[in-house]
Amino acid sequence: MISERILELINADIDGELRPEDQSELDAALESSAEARAVKSELQKLSNLMDSLPPQQPPRGLGSRIAGNIGLPKPESSFSLSSIFSSFQPATAGVAFAAGLLLAVGFYEFSSERAVPGDSASMVGTMIAGKGSAPEFLKNDMQLKGDGFSGTIALRETSGIYILNFDLESEINTEVKVGLDKTGFAFGGFAEIQGDENKVLESVMISGGALRVLNQGHQQFAVFLREDETGKPVHPESISIDFSSSDRL
Amino acid sequence: MNSDRRDHALIDRCKRGDRRALEELIGHYEKPVFNAAYRILGNPDDAADASQVAFMKAFEHLDQYDPKYKFFSWIYRIAVNESINQRKRARNQQPLDDKEVTDVRGPEATAQAGDLSGKIQDGLMELKDDYRTVVVLRHFSDCSYRQISEILQIPEKTVKSRLYSARQLMKEALVARGVY
Repeated sequence: MISERILELINADIDGELRPEDQSELDAALESSAEARAVKSELQKLSNLMDSLPPQQPPRGLGSRIAGNIGLPKPESSFSLSSIFSSFQPATAGVAFAAGLLLAVGFYEFSSERAVPGDSASMVGTMIAGKGSAPEFLKNDMQLKGDGFSGTIALRETSGIYILNFDLESEINTEVKVGLDKTGFAFGGFAEIQGDENKVLESVMISGGALRVLNQGHQQFAVFLREDETGKPVHPESISIDFSSSDRL
Repeated sequence: MNSDRRDHALIDRCKRGDRRALEELIGHYEKPVFNAAYRILGNPDDAADASQVAFMKAFEHLDQYDPKYKFFSWIYRIAVNESINQRKRARNQQPLDDKEVTDVRGPEATAQAGDLSGKIQDGLMELKDDYRTVVVLRHFSDCSYRQISEILQIPEKTVKSRLYSARQLMKEALVARGVY
């Protein structure tokens, strides 16, 4: 009967974990003991059998399903419009208003029956005329300047319609996420200002009550907000806008 | 970039809310975690569930992750524990008359029982959880003694002794199935 020590060395050898200083001891045991050789042969066969089984493929879409169920902290670069609303100013003259920019704009209208789910691919595209004559009010705006990223965001209101105007310049892909949780607003539409071939508006997606726009280069677009079905008072100061940038986006 | 540095960089980005980093990290470990869970549970559906819960727990407690250790070890530890707990729960939910039956695999795995892979999986399922886990990590996840020790948080010496015993039992199980 072989000793525990030799059994340990045989197992370590099979696992590729035999220390060099133990090699000669194992060799001597195998040389002198037919039983040790038989044990090693059997264990090696068992090991080879198990190692020969191919890995199983996970079900299709498992990774996406997992990722979709994991919540991450908000990006550090996020900010809330509540800070800029504390310095509210009345309308300023000559400010371009989103509706007035719709001459060459693709406008996607969201019906109330399918207010949140879906993405831009399933939206109904409708061109609408501009409302240049309507009185317009600058509710607030913000200048952004960062490393490889700059622009302005302006929130305007006319005849009870709120519009978030984005004019952004980003060197790398940037995701802009507009969240309306507890604002009393729902998304009413999205408009992209077209005409610059260098623009890369990669995707527009609405899910979970937030709108995500992935863009690069110089982008101008507007997000239209409407009162949600509950009829509760709106809170534009609670609109959240998050940015995240990555060269891998 | 080696895998440790890559993982730590991805984790940092995840902590800053970068979903692309999350997807990349899951992409690196989805398959090995699923495979370990599959060999412990013997059922692809249960393995998918265990993998999902393991990743969700890992990212839920990402602030508790200690970068001194490999992310690989951490996610494996969570996955192994989740798989074992899931198996225990499944056993506890069986009717009393079936308590002695430990095989909780589904029809797909049972259908494989006639081939070599199925016989080996059958043999694995006969082992106690402690033994099956070390065999799975060594032979199906290709972990070293040291990595197994880190994943299971047990001394290397215990890893070795469990592995030797498990192999002996595994061999007997395969002999009984005519593999030898």
